Amino acid sequence: MAVRLKELERLLYRLITAPSGVAEGLAAERGLPPGGLDAIVRGDSRLSATQRVDIYASMYFNRLLDVLKEDFPATLKALGEVNFHNLITGYLLEYPPTEPSVHFCGRHLAAFLRDHPMRVKAPYVADLAALERALVKSFHARDAVALDAETMRSIPPAKWPAVRVGMHPAASILAVKWRVSGLLAAIAGNRKWKPSARGDVKVLVWRRNARVFHRELEPAEEHALAAAARGTTIARICDLIASSMRHGNSVAEANRLLARWIADGILVRMPNSRRRSVNRR
Amino acid sequence: MVEGGRALEVLSAIRERYPIVMHGVSMSIGSADPLNRDYLRKLREAARRFSPAWMSDHLCWTSVGGRNLHDLIPLPYTEEALRHVVRRIRAVQDAIERPILMENVSSYMAFADSAMPEWEFLSRVAEEADCGILLDINNVFVSAFNHRFDACEYIDAVPADRVVQYHLAGHSDHGTYLLDSHDHPVREEVWSLYERAVRRFGAVSALVEWDDNIPDFGALAATADRARRIFINAASNFVRRDRNGGSAERTGTAPVPADHRA
Repeated sequence: MAVRLKELERLLYRLITAPSGVAEGLAAERGLPPGGLDAIVRGDSRLSATQRVDIYASMYFNRLLDVLKEDFPATLKALGEVNFHNLITGYLLEYPPTEPSVHFCGRHLAAFLRDHPMRVKAPYVADLAALERALVKSFHARDAVALDAETMRSIPPAKWPAVRVGMHPAASILAVKWRVSGLLAAIAGNRKWKPSARGDVKVLVWRRNARVFHRELEPAEEHALAAAARGTTIARICDLIASSMRHGNSVAEANRLLARWIADGILVRMPNSRRRSVNRR
Repeated sequence: MVEGGRALEVLSAIRERYPIVMHGVSMSIGSADPLNRDYLRKLREAARRFSPAWMSDHLCWTSVGGRNLHDLIPLPYTEEALRHVVRRIRAVQDAIERPILMENVSSYMAFADSAMPEWEFLSRVAEEADCGILLDINNVFVSAFNHRFDACEYIDAVPADRVVQYHLAGHSDHGTYLLDSHDHPVREEVWSLYERAVRRFGAVSALVEWDDNIPDFGALAATADRARRIFINAASNFVRRDRNGGSAERTGTAPVPADHRA
């Protein structure tokens, strides 16, 4: 094991990520060799050792800030540049990147916001960040063949109830306490926006033709899509839609919703589960 | 390294029509941490799916203690670091079932403990790990300015038979240092170094990196055309040198298939 290399890398990591800069990070270091950082990193008349490490420190923060601005454009707009900058400063201390891809950098931002003082002024913003994160996940999610209308037409209608379906890997349902889907659409569309209203709703996120979408679920969809997410039959989905309706034509409603989900590529076909043969004695 | 969606869809469409090479920034070959086996498994799967002509990453470290800086941090050029990196490159090549190229990085700091110049470290890594070299000409220029060494000496010292690809790029001038920002045109001094490299290493594939302040397509195409003209001219007179500097072969063809050229 390269012990000295490990010590060097860990020291540089601490200095590059030091919250108040390399100089203050250095002041907190114990066990530096005589000569301090100059005994480790070569400085010269152009740049001292500390200034050289500082170049990396500056790039570390600004690169990740840029990544998070790209992944959370609406959260940025809702909070403003300065607040977002301060938020990310704290966030990276609490949740430094651990994965090889920067796509994972923002995965804890919504959770971080839930306990952050900024929630007092903008209580909806954690849900907004959660929705933006769901969009990023959907954009990069695994591919799968979506159940389409042509496939359904190839199945005799009498067999439709037994068809097993699941949810596409790029589709998900997000439970929120604030109605952030409309807010996100307004900000993304450069329209006038106002803070979200409170409302216990579910937001559907999905991907179609490499683009991601979101919308609030209708009440009749909630249980049926939750069941689809676990894997179920179309018959069960129709039952759940019917049981969620107080009045109206449940058959027409099931047809409408199934047609919509299929058009949006939200469902995938799953193999029908085989009955296990059980030897009874 | 994503599981699906637009990035892979576009890559698949490109691969149907063109050969590709795969270039990464997160192998962290110089890290003191254990190799990230999950990352290597994904790389192997990507390589099996897309059959790249080759795969490359950087001779540096990006993560330690399970945390990632998402930046290319230089190594000390010591015997200890050399042994460590050589062992890991061999392990990576086994894991992904193919040889890799290591790219020299731009750097803004150098270490008091370094016992050899960067070009010697890079050359010995390539020889001892039996891997190729992706020679970033702009990185040579940037590091030469930042650490006051002779860029020509660097080019002249790298083993000719290890260089498989060039990178060209622009950088930004911060007065006391140059930053490898990929947001400017390639500088004339870098073009001159590239000509020197092509005369020495031959007309291997070249890639222009331009990630920010991207100009219109005409300017990009003109940059690629200039790179192509330089190596076509140089290739007709290319003499590959053996390890001792003697003439080993005279050829007008590059050491990789023609469709892999810039």
